[in-house]
Amino acid sequence: MMLKITNLHAKVAGKEILKGLNLELKAGEVHAIMGPNGAGKSTLGNILAGREGYEVTGGEILFNGKNLLELEPEERACEGVFLAFQYPVEIPGVNNTYFLRAALNAQRKYRGEPELDSVSFLRLVREKLKVLHIGDELLHRAVNEGFSGGEKKRNEIFQMAVLEPTLAILDETDSGLDIDALKTVAEGVNRLRSEDRGMIVITHYQRLLDYIVPDKVHVLADGKLAATGGADLALKLEEQGYAWLEDGGIETLDIKPAGQTVNP
Amino acid sequence: MSELSTQLAAALPQDFGSGPDWVRALRGAGAEQFRAHGLPTRKDESWKYTGLGLLDQREIQLALTAETPVSGSTHPAPLVEAAFQVNILDGRILEQNGTQPTGLTVLPLAEALNGEVDGLQALLESLPDTQKEGSSGHGFTALNTATLGSGLLIHVAAGTDAGRLLINWSTLGGAVSRLFNTRVCIIVEQDAKLELLEQFESQNGSSNACNIVMQADLGEGAVLQHIRFQQESEDAVLVTRTEVSQQADSDYSHYGFDLGGGLVRHDLRTSLKGSGAKTGINGAYLLDGNRHVDNHTMVDHIAPGCSSDQYYRGVAGGSGRAVFNTAVYVHPGADGTEATQSNANILLSARAEVDTKPELEIYADEVIASHGATVGQLDEQAVFYLRSRGLSEKEARQLLTTAFCRSVSDKLTDPVLGEVISQRMMDVMPQAD
Repeated sequence: MMLKITNLHAKVAGKEILKGLNLELKAGEVHAIMGPNGAGKSTLGNILAGREGYEVTGGEILFNGKNLLELEPEERACEGVFLAFQYPVEIPGVNNTYFLRAALNAQRKYRGEPELDSVSFLRLVREKLKVLHIGDELLHRAVNEGFSGGEKKRNEIFQMAVLEPTLAILDETDSGLDIDALKTVAEGVNRLRSEDRGMIVITHYQRLLDYIVPDKVHVLADGKLAATGGADLALKLEEQGYAWLEDGGIETLDIKPAGQTVNP
Repeated sequence: MSELSTQLAAALPQDFGSGPDWVRALRGAGAEQFRAHGLPTRKDESWKYTGLGLLDQREIQLALTAETPVSGSTHPAPLVEAAFQVNILDGRILEQNGTQPTGLTVLPLAEALNGEVDGLQALLESLPDTQKEGSSGHGFTALNTATLGSGLLIHVAAGTDAGRLLINWSTLGGAVSRLFNTRVCIIVEQDAKLELLEQFESQNGSSNACNIVMQADLGEGAVLQHIRFQQESEDAVLVTRTEVSQQADSDYSHYGFDLGGGLVRHDLRTSLKGSGAKTGINGAYLLDGNRHVDNHTMVDHIAPGCSSDQYYRGVAGGSGRAVFNTAVYVHPGADGTEATQSNANILLSARAEVDTKPELEIYADEVIASHGATVGQLDEQAVFYLRSRGLSEKEARQLLTTAFCRSVSDKLTDPVLGEVISQRMMDVMPQAD
């Protein structure tokens, strides 16, 4: 098991957001996490990446057998965890290429691999850009500075392609994107799908899942998983919304409750 | 007057030296002012935050007679290549390298004072407030004038581009701390162009003090790019004053980088006297340890339709103390002035201190002016973003503080020089506590 989250409880600003979340992800799988606003979707992404301000009050997270919660954010990154931010941060003055090379070399150093010189790095970067159909103008700009919403998200996918994480978490990467940007992002993600990589796609809308077909769909509601299903669950949610969560529970929706395996 | 002021006043010569009468008269007026008021004290408004403790605690001696420079002493390597380079050691011209480009004349000031250099007398006599102001606020300038003699005259003939001139300043360490007074006079004639790169970098941890006054006169359409790079030892005292006078359509741009020094004070004033003149004043200061860096800038908008743009960034760690005071004065009649002032600072330690004050006075119409000054910490969202990609917390903070200062070096028109300076900044970047 690549990622095993057991009974995770967490607070943000004193308020309990996650209330006993369980999730298992195998290498090669893509899981979508959906759910209404405020359910704790982004909290999960931020906890996995190690952002400050999230207090884990119970449970554990094992990542390839290691206790993820004991690692610093940079150690998690070096171990292969990547969070594509919902709101990528603008960093004036830091060149995108410089930043990415520093990040990649930090990770390579951690893994005992030789650092890449600027020539080899540039070769790698151009290769990735070509595959992702992204122009090279973002190489010369400061990290996310003055980027449009779509450019920021594309830059996240580009960073993911260069850093080649083991576990990628996409936090509402589709929000605010027009259909073309959405397709570019989805294509980038699909190209990175592989047997030894796991992905968690956090999204509010089903739309993204037309392009990134997940192996599993989880519904996160009130701090825990309320349902788990196959890709078809997302379609049902699109049709029927989340009202069933309050109306009468999972039975009113024509799917099986969380914990039971649904054959894809 | 302080003990140091009394001692320096006593060391001043009685006879005002040799040379033409007007030079002797200037020295006399400087000496008179200095004897009356001495060096600045914290009672002077513009020295409120900057004391001279580092000078007081030394037995500093006024360097007067032309001392023979020590032969074979080495200057630090220049930051970048320059067409022409002047090395100044202990206030004396040690050597000149390269060939003077057509249109450029660089002379020892002593020689120029005895010759007939057009405009030099007017330039030297134009220095405001040495004679008029009856306070000690300009004590260093008075002292500099009282000992007028060593330094340089730089002249660029009309319509010529002199390229880059490098002045490499350095002082030698020794048993006795000495105070050197140097004057640099720059005349850039109509439509002429000069890039002046000053590099202050003494080897051997010099405990000397330099008091340098620079006066520049820019003719119509003249362009002066002035880069001042300072990475002195933490024992060094450097007091500099730059006075720029600008005729119509001239362009003065200043880039100051303070990476070192124990006690550093720089006063910069530009006077926009002809319409269409432009001035850009940019700088970065990085402090840690017990360093003290004080920048005072002032732009006098006298003619209409001129613009000034000021941009300073500072990072203070350890027990470093930075002072930044910027003033813009828009005189009656200077209609259509555009003036911006921006100063932002990052504090990396609870013991560090930054005192920043923008001042703006407007007595004209249709003026566009903005000013802002901030003191804050690093953006923690950005720190996390960088860490989430694999950079250590230390690397992330260093990258962000460097980027913050890099926004100044990136403004340099020569990207090679910008890169060299930003690398130097990264090397000395103060660390968070």
